[in-house]
Amino acid sequence: MLKLIFVYVGWWIVTGIFAIPLYAAEVTFTVTDATGKPFPDAVVALFDGKSAALTTTANTKIVQKNKQFNPGVTVVQTGTLIHFPNEDTVRHHVYSFSPAKKFELKLYRGVAANPVQFDQAGVVSLGCNIHDSMIGYIYVLDTPFFAKTDSQGQAVLTVADGQYTYQVWPAGRLKPSVEQKQHINGATAIKVNLP
Amino acid sequence: MKKLHGLIQFKHIRTRIAVVFLSVVVVLQLAGLVPMKFSLTHHANKIAENQIEIGERIFVSLIQHNTQSYKQAAQVLAADYAFREAVASADIETIESALSNYQSRIHAEVAYYVSEDGAMVVSTANSQEAYRKVDLKQASQQFNSGKLKFDIIDGKPFQLISVPVKAPVVIGWIVLGFKIDNNLANQIKQLTNLDVTFIQKMPQKSWQLVSGTLSPESGNTLIHAISGIYREQLSIHSIEMDDKEYHLKMRSLYEGANGESLMVVLQGSVTRFVQDLNTLFLTMLFLTMVGIGLLAVVIWYIARKLVQPITELADNVSEMTQGNYDQEIQINRSDELGHLGKLFNDMREAIQQRTRRIQRLAFNDELTGLSNRLAFMQGIGSAILTHAESKDKCSVIVININRFKPINNTLGRDFGDDLLRHVGQVLKENIYAAHDIVARLDADEFAVLLHHADQTRATAYAAKINAILDQPVHVQGQAIDVRTGIGVAVYPEHGMDEESLLNHAETAQQESKSKKTEWIVYNAALEIDQSETLTLISDLKEAISQNQLLLYIQPKIDVATRKVLGGEALIRWVHPEKGMIFPDQFIPFAEQTGVISDITNWMLNRACEVLAEYKRQGLHMSLAVNLSTRDLNNIELPEQLAVLLAQHGLDTRSLKLEITEGSLMQDPERAETVVRKLAGMGLHLSIDDFGTGYSSLAYLRQLPVQELKIDRSFVMFMDKNVSDASIVKSTIDLAHNLGLKVVAEGIENEGVLAQLAKLGCDEGQGYFIGKPMPEKDFSVWLERWEGQDQVDINVDIGDDMRFATNPLDPVLDEKSTLKLNS
Repeated sequence: MLKLIFVYVGWWIVTGIFAIPLYAAEVTFTVTDATGKPFPDAVVALFDGKSAALTTTANTKIVQKNKQFNPGVTVVQTGTLIHFPNEDTVRHHVYSFSPAKKFELKLYRGVAANPVQFDQAGVVSLGCNIHDSMIGYIYVLDTPFFAKTDSQGQAVLTVADGQYTYQVWPAGRLKPSVEQKQHINGATAIKVNLP
Repeated sequence: MKKLHGLIQFKHIRTRIAVVFLSVVVVLQLAGLVPMKFSLTHHANKIAENQIEIGERIFVSLIQHNTQSYKQAAQVLAADYAFREAVASADIETIESALSNYQSRIHAEVAYYVSEDGAMVVSTANSQEAYRKVDLKQASQQFNSGKLKFDIIDGKPFQLISVPVKAPVVIGWIVLGFKIDNNLANQIKQLTNLDVTFIQKMPQKSWQLVSGTLSPESGNTLIHAISGIYREQLSIHSIEMDDKEYHLKMRSLYEGANGESLMVVLQGSVTRFVQDLNTLFLTMLFLTMVGIGLLAVVIWYIARKLVQPITELADNVSEMTQGNYDQEIQINRSDELGHLGKLFNDMREAIQQRTRRIQRLAFNDELTGLSNRLAFMQGIGSAILTHAESKDKCSVIVININRFKPINNTLGRDFGDDLLRHVGQVLKENIYAAHDIVARLDADEFAVLLHHADQTRATAYAAKINAILDQPVHVQGQAIDVRTGIGVAVYPEHGMDEESLLNHAETAQQESKSKKTEWIVYNAALEIDQSETLTLISDLKEAISQNQLLLYIQPKIDVATRKVLGGEALIRWVHPEKGMIFPDQFIPFAEQTGVISDITNWMLNRACEVLAEYKRQGLHMSLAVNLSTRDLNNIELPEQLAVLLAQHGLDTRSLKLEITEGSLMQDPERAETVVRKLAGMGLHLSIDDFGTGYSSLAYLRQLPVQELKIDRSFVMFMDKNVSDASIVKSTIDLAHNLGLKVVAEGIENEGVLAQLAKLGCDEGQGYFIGKPMPEKDFSVWLERWEGQDQVDINVDIGDDMRFATNPLDPVLDEKSTLKLNS
């Protein structure tokens, strides 16, 4: 536990160091659907073209509980390790045939032996060979600047001023719905209207 | 029904009953059968339609079921981890082998895998056509909705099944194509009993047979049949193929944008159901016919049973029509017909009784119970018939009771009737054989037919009857003398037929009566008089108009003073051929035929003329004219007389009217009326022939008569016969006591005249005074009488023999004094 706290704090320090630009700017995304309603759980990301894959051993987890992947949509930076603890009493056979990461965790209970490292950017569809209804998505991005919209369809990213490209992925999409270049200078509000 | 009866005339009631009832039954049956026939046909169609609708549902359900199983099979493949892994790793070879493996396992014709982005990854078909056909969006929709997808690939029809491959999101599609072949069609036919035909149409081409349960020829016929109608928006089509009716259900399975079409045709035979129902109908029809036939027999039998007693009745009644009333009608029933039979029986008895009565009336004399004239004539007729062969003889005897009418009038009709019955009885008792006939021909005339009697036997009978009736007959406690006239006629001497026999017997009887003999057998000499009379009757009418009649007068004097008072008017007939004819030869017949009225009129007229002439000459005479029975019944006579007297300017005293007792008796009331009227006019009335009748003085006293004429039979010999004289005397006394004058007839000598004068007789007439003379001679006679010496009183004048040339004229003695209505 102590180790976890340590890791967490450590992660924040590391990211804090890299996140302190000379002139930091807040970018606020507001995603709406075609009818103008707020679109939650959409993945938004800003790419500066410089940030590469993490070589760090940053990790996270996707829990299988109640025959669902939790969270259903997970966004990670390239190179992140993800654990797939099974908190159900039944066994699961988690797999992915997505080009970004093919893997399978054969029938297991509890925490699988090793985490899976997602070292290639792309969308990974998670399935369970036993439970067809279990679908999860992992968005593996080559950037540290990403977030999921909240229930108001809003997400806030803090980046240094500069030239960026932003992408918006509605959950479940294998390709970004919107990809747009954006110069950020100070606090910027980006409104995305998904088609 | 009535109209029906009007249209059809039945000879027998049983036919009518049978026809009517059968008609009703047939109509009722038809009324049931016809709608049934329609309803059966309708039902057959309905069943056929139902069958085809059900068939269609089964077809759809089967296809869906098949699709489902194909889908499940495909899903097994799609879910296979290894397959998905092969797909994910784009291991084309593995994918293809897996598909081929599955394809053959589930008998799919083609199989291919298409990636999620629409790229054909693997195909087992040779052509790219299949790929071109794949529309993933449609496939996904189809998969989710479960809709069927048919298509034509490479000119062949397929059913396509698409199944997504998920990992876990859809990464591609497995598409399987199943051929539409005879297996499917047969499968459907097995389940639905319908013929199934799949047909397709390529762009710019006509329909062609794909597969089906029909033979290729039938299939092509079907295609030909439906090519014209498939566009019609009907749920069910009806067509005829090979003379059979079919219902068709067409369902389009696929219609491509370029005009490709795939269609399934479900075909059900209506004929099969119609045939079944037709068989049912024919069976029912047959049963109905059999039923009607049986019913016809039953109805016929019942109708016969019903009508039989009527027929029997009719037969019985027809017997009655023949006149046979003896046969009793035998009907032992308690119903209406029995009642009718009983009524017929009653009628039969009533008719029988009536017939007997009529026969009795027709052939019997009601009063005496003897045969009547008709029966008697028949009896003679049949006797003649038998005797014509046997040469036997039979006799007809006619018996007449003399003076029956006065007896009847005086002693009463009851007495007369009893007398007749008695005479009949006597006749009956003396016949020779049981079948001899006794008949009453007329009021007082009887006839007897003796079947086996020659003249001797017949006269013996006549003599016997005469002898019996000669004795006083006792009737109602009274003894009465009966005189008879009997005539006999014998077959074949006196007549060859019943008519002449009876006539001749009657002639003989009349002769016997007038001759007052016991009996007379007919002879031809009698006939002369008879035929004479007949001719005279016919000549009599002419005589009046042609002035052949003459008025004769017999003078009448005052007995005391011998002064001429007048005379009695008498009639003579000078026949142009026969000469002088005396009244007793024609007056009786004139009375019978009614010509007497004309004669009386002539007499009265002539008498008035004569009186008027006398009056002119200064002679105050009176003339007495005889009136007949008919005259006294003529109500108009007084009127006529009054006119006549007035015409000639005559006093009523100058005309005297003589009436006989008998003439008063015919119709006493009417006669009395006429007599009273005449008396009222002041006419002098005189009772003629007094003493011969039976009238009582008491009755005469009531009549307004002034005079009695004593019959000559009492007067003629009163000088020699004391009893006659005393009758005359007492009559004169009696008449005088009643205030009546007395006239004596038949004075033939001085002695009688003197005697009458002594007895106080008022007036007299007779040959001594004067015979009847022509009226023109009367004045001559009068002169001589008035001027004669009282001693030489005989005057030779009167019935001049110059006129009396009739050879048949009876002997001219006092008895045949010619007098009107003697």
